[in-house]
Amino acid sequence: MKSYYLDHPNTLRNHLAKSYQIEPPEADSAKSTPPLISPKGQLFAEHENLFTFDGECFRETLPKPAPFVLFGVQSCDLTAIHYQDQFFANDPYYQARRQQALLIGTDCLNPCQQGFCPSVDAGPGVKKETADMILHQLSATSWLLLVCNKKGLNALEGLLLNPANESEFTDRDNRIASCVEQFNDDSYLQQGITAINQNQVPEELWQQLGIQCLSCSGCTTLCPTCSCYGTWERQDSNGDIRRQRFWDSCLYESFQREASQHNPTEEAGERVKRFWTHKFGDNFAQEFGRYGCVGCGRCEQTCPGVVGVHSVMKRIASDAKLDT
Amino acid sequence: MATKIISTICPFCGVGCGLNLRTENGKLISVEPQLDHPVSRGQLCTKGWNSAYGIDAQNRITHPLIRTPQGFRQVSWDEALETIANGLKQILAESGPQATGIISSARATNEDNYAAQKLARAVLKTNNVDHCARICHSPTVAGLSQTLGSGAMTNSAADLLETDLILVFGADPTENHSILGGHIMRAHLEGTKLIVADPRCTRLAKLADSHLQLKLGSNIALLNAMVKTILDNGWQDKKFLDQRCEGLEQLTASVANALEGVEETTGISLPEIESAAKAYSQSKRAMILYGMGITQYVSGTNNVIALSNLALICGQLGRKGTGVNPLRGQNNVQGACDMGCLPNVYPGYQKVDNPEARAKFSQYWKTEVPEHPGLTSMGMTKATLAGEFRGLILFGEDPVVTDPDQNLVKRAFSKLDLLVVAELTMTDTARMADVVLPAASFAEKSGTFTNCERRVQHVQQALPPVGEARTDWQWLAAIAQQLGSDQLDWHDSEAVFREITQITPNYSAMNYTKIDQLQGLQWPCNHETPEGTAILHKDTFPIGKARLIPVHPIDIDERADNEYPLLLTTNRLHFHYGCGSMTRKSPLLERETPAGLLFINPADANDLGVTHRSAVGIRSRRGYVETRAMLTDDLPPGLVCMPYHFREAPSNQLTNTAQDPLTKMPELKACAVSVQPLEPGMSPRPIDEISALKVEGVK
Repeated sequence: MKSYYLDHPNTLRNHLAKSYQIEPPEADSAKSTPPLISPKGQLFAEHENLFTFDGECFRETLPKPAPFVLFGVQSCDLTAIHYQDQFFANDPYYQARRQQALLIGTDCLNPCQQGFCPSVDAGPGVKKETADMILHQLSATSWLLLVCNKKGLNALEGLLLNPANESEFTDRDNRIASCVEQFNDDSYLQQGITAINQNQVPEELWQQLGIQCLSCSGCTTLCPTCSCYGTWERQDSNGDIRRQRFWDSCLYESFQREASQHNPTEEAGERVKRFWTHKFGDNFAQEFGRYGCVGCGRCEQTCPGVVGVHSVMKRIASDAKLDT
Repeated sequence: MATKIISTICPFCGVGCGLNLRTENGKLISVEPQLDHPVSRGQLCTKGWNSAYGIDAQNRITHPLIRTPQGFRQVSWDEALETIANGLKQILAESGPQATGIISSARATNEDNYAAQKLARAVLKTNNVDHCARICHSPTVAGLSQTLGSGAMTNSAADLLETDLILVFGADPTENHSILGGHIMRAHLEGTKLIVADPRCTRLAKLADSHLQLKLGSNIALLNAMVKTILDNGWQDKKFLDQRCEGLEQLTASVANALEGVEETTGISLPEIESAAKAYSQSKRAMILYGMGITQYVSGTNNVIALSNLALICGQLGRKGTGVNPLRGQNNVQGACDMGCLPNVYPGYQKVDNPEARAKFSQYWKTEVPEHPGLTSMGMTKATLAGEFRGLILFGEDPVVTDPDQNLVKRAFSKLDLLVVAELTMTDTARMADVVLPAASFAEKSGTFTNCERRVQHVQQALPPVGEARTDWQWLAAIAQQLGSDQLDWHDSEAVFREITQITPNYSAMNYTKIDQLQGLQWPCNHETPEGTAILHKDTFPIGKARLIPVHPIDIDERADNEYPLLLTTNRLHFHYGCGSMTRKSPLLERETPAGLLFINPADANDLGVTHRSAVGIRSRRGYVETRAMLTDDLPPGLVCMPYHFREAPSNQLTNTAQDPLTKMPELKACAVSVQPLEPGMSPRPIDEISALKVEGVK
C-alpha cells in the first residue's frame, strides 16, 4: 500500500475537484462521527426511474452520473458500501453509479456516541478493501494518505506528495487500537447476537418491542445496509409511464402482505424480529461474509419507539439471561 | 449533483419536528430529521419520512381554474383575481360584509393566517373568519382561558422526560403526535409512571401501568370522581389551592355525590379510580396530556374544565414536568389561533367585543374594523343554507371530508354564489369551487409555524413553487389589491411577521433572526421574556388566581338503541394525516391500509357475521358508508371506530352535528350506528358511487 504525507485533506479535495464532483461538498474529514445520512443514497437512489413506456416502446433510463468522489467516509459506511456492492452486484442502476464513484475513507480516532463498529468488525479504522484511499490524521497540520488500489493511485496523478515512512503504518494501527479501547462495554451486543441466533429471545419480548415500533421507517431509511425497495408506475403529463423504484421498509405491515391479504408477518413483533435477524443472523453472515449491521448506531438515534440497536439488544440480553 | 440541505419544519402535526429537505438541481430528493432539534432530536414519524410525496408535483394544481358548465378552465391569475373581486364586490354591495367570510388554514404559516384575518377584518369588514381549530381544540381555548387564563399547552415537550407521572387522557399520541408518543414511551421505559384514560386500548394503553378504559363520553364522571377521591383523602395541594386558586368550596360541594354510580357510568372500579387519583396527586411532578377524546364532545368545554380542576387541586401546574397540555392537531393550529383566525378574537386573543381592542386595531390598520363577532365555520355553513351568507374564501382545508355531516356541508357549498378554494391538490372541497387557486406547499415558501408547545419556528423555502402556485398571503394580498386596498402590501414574509409582532403582545419580542438562533421561540416572548417562555403560569395566572369551576357529567347526544345498536367513535392512523390529501400520495402509506376501515371487536363481528377484512355497510341517522372491517380487541364490545382520512368512506357521513353549546364543537367522538356485512365477495363501494345510486333511485 503506497502512503504519503498530506498537509490537509483539502489539498486532496482540491486536486480531485478538477476531475470529480465532490460529495458531500462540506464534509469535515477530522470528525469521528458518521453523518446523520449515510452515503447509501448516492449509489442506491431513494427514488429512481427503472424504465419508461410511451405506449409503444420501453426505454432504458440508466443513470449516467459524472465521476464523483465520496470524500471522508467513515469505516462503518464504507463497510456498508462493500456489503451493498455484493447485494447489488447485478443491479445496473446501482452499478452505473458505483463505477463512477471514488471512495476516500477516513479513520475514526475517537468513538462516536452511538457507534460500536469494533464489535461488528466494521471500524474504527478503514479496511483497505473497502476504499480507494484512506485519510488518517496525524496532527493538526499533518495527515497520512494511504492508497488502497490502482483506481486510487490513478486519481492522484498530477499531485506531488512526499512518501510517508514505513513506521507510520504501525503508528496508525496503534492509534486505531487505542480508539477501540475507548469504546464503551457493549457485551450486551454479543449476548444479544447469541440469543437471536440460538432463538432464545422470548416471543413476548418481540411482541412488546413490536408495540413500541411505530413503523416509521426511520431505521431502514438511515441504515446503510438496508436495501429493500418497492416499485410503482407514474404517468407523466405527456402520457408516458415511468416505472419508479423507491426505498421500502420491512417494518411496514404491508411490506410482506400478499394479494390474497395473507401476511406471514402481520404481527408487528414478527416484523421487528425479522429486522434484527437480518442484521445479526448467522445465515446472513454466511452469505455476505459479515453481519448486516455495521455498528453506526443511527437506528438508536432516530427511533421514536426506543427500539434502536442498543435499546433492543440490552433488553434481549437481559430477558434472554432471565430465560436461562 | 449539486445537493442543498434546507432546514425547515415538518408540515404535519402540532409537534413541529425539525425537518431537512435535501434538494438536487432544484428537485426534492429526500427528507431527513434534524439531529439537534429541541423537540424531535433526530427523529421523524412515518408521515414526516414520507412528506416528500405529499408535495410532489404529481396531482398538484398548477394554474388558477374557473368553473364553467363544461368543467374547470385554466385561466391567468389576472382573470381569476378579477372574477373573485367582481364576485365579492357584488355580494358586498347587495348583502353587506356579513355575507362574506374566510376559512383559513391551520396548515398554513402564521404570515398566511395573519393575512387572511386582516383581509376579512380590514378589507371585507367582517369578523367571519375561522379555521379547523373549531373542530379540534376550540373547547380547549374556551375552557382553559376560563380556568387558567390561557388556552395553550402549559408546558413543553422536553418536560415529558423530566416528570414522574404522565396521564394521557383521550389522546393517542403515538399515532397522532408520534414523536411525543415516543418521548412518552421513552420516559415510561426509564421509570415514569404512565396512566392512560381511553375507551380504546391504544398503543400507550398496552404499555401503561394503568389503563382506565372508560365508557365513551364518561370523562367528567371519571374526573369528578378522581377529584372527590383526592379531596376525601386530603391528597390535594393545600398551599397551592390557598395561594393560587379560587372556587374550592363550590367545587367541593359540586363533587359531593361524584362517587355514586360512577362504576356503572364509567366502567371503572372504585379501587382503580382511587389508585389513579392517588398516583396523580401524590407524584412530585405529574403531567396531563389530552386530545380529541376530551374536546370532540357536546361536553367538550366542560371536559377541559374538569381536567383543569384535577390539575389545579393537586398543584400540578406552573412547574417543570407538570401542566395541562392539549396536543394540537395541525402543524400550525396554535399559530392560526394566535393570529386571530377566529370570529371572536384578533391576533393575540384580543377580544373583538372589547372596544379598546377594537380601537387598537382600527388605529393600527388605519381603518374601521367591524364591531360584532363573526360566524364560525359551521355558522357560515348554516347561514349559507338560510340564504344569508354568499361568498367564502377557503384555503388548505377540506371541510367536505373533515367536517361533521358531510351532506350538510356539500349542500351549503353548492349554494354559495362564490366559493374560492386555494389548494395543493383537487380535494373534494376544491372540486366544488367557482375559482380554484394553486397554493404553494410548505417547501415552496418561507414563514413561521407555531407548534403545540407555543414554539414559533422558521419555515424556509427549499423549492420553487410548482407551476404558477403562490404563497397564501401573496394571493390574499392580490385579492385585497383588486378590491382597491393596500392593507396587505408586504414585500416578503419577514415584513408580515414584523407587523404581527407589533400588534400581538405574546410575539412582541420575536424576529426571524432570533428564531433561527434559538431554534424557535416559545410565547409569551416579550420585553420581560425576550427568549421566550417554556412553562406557563409559574408564579401567577394571566387572570390572577386560577378558577375551579364545577362541572357535571353531560351524556353523549346519541346513545345506542335497537335500531342503531353500536356506538361509533373516530380515531386517526399514524400513517395518515387529516383528509389524506398529502399522505395518500405516498405509495408506502397508501399501501398500508384499505381505503377506509372500521375497527370492531371480534365478539361484535361474530354476532353480525362479519369477518376480518370483509366488506361492511355502516349506517347512522345521517348517512351510510361501506368499508372494510378490521377485527381487533383494541375496542370493547359495543364500540366501533373509524378513521376519517378516507374520502371513499368518510366517517363524517355518519357523525353527529350535535354541538358543545359554547364553542359549537360538534360531537365527532360519539354517535349510534348499525353495521351489516355485505354479500361475500363484494367490495366496499366508495361514497361517490353510493350517492350516485341514491340520486338515480330518487329519479
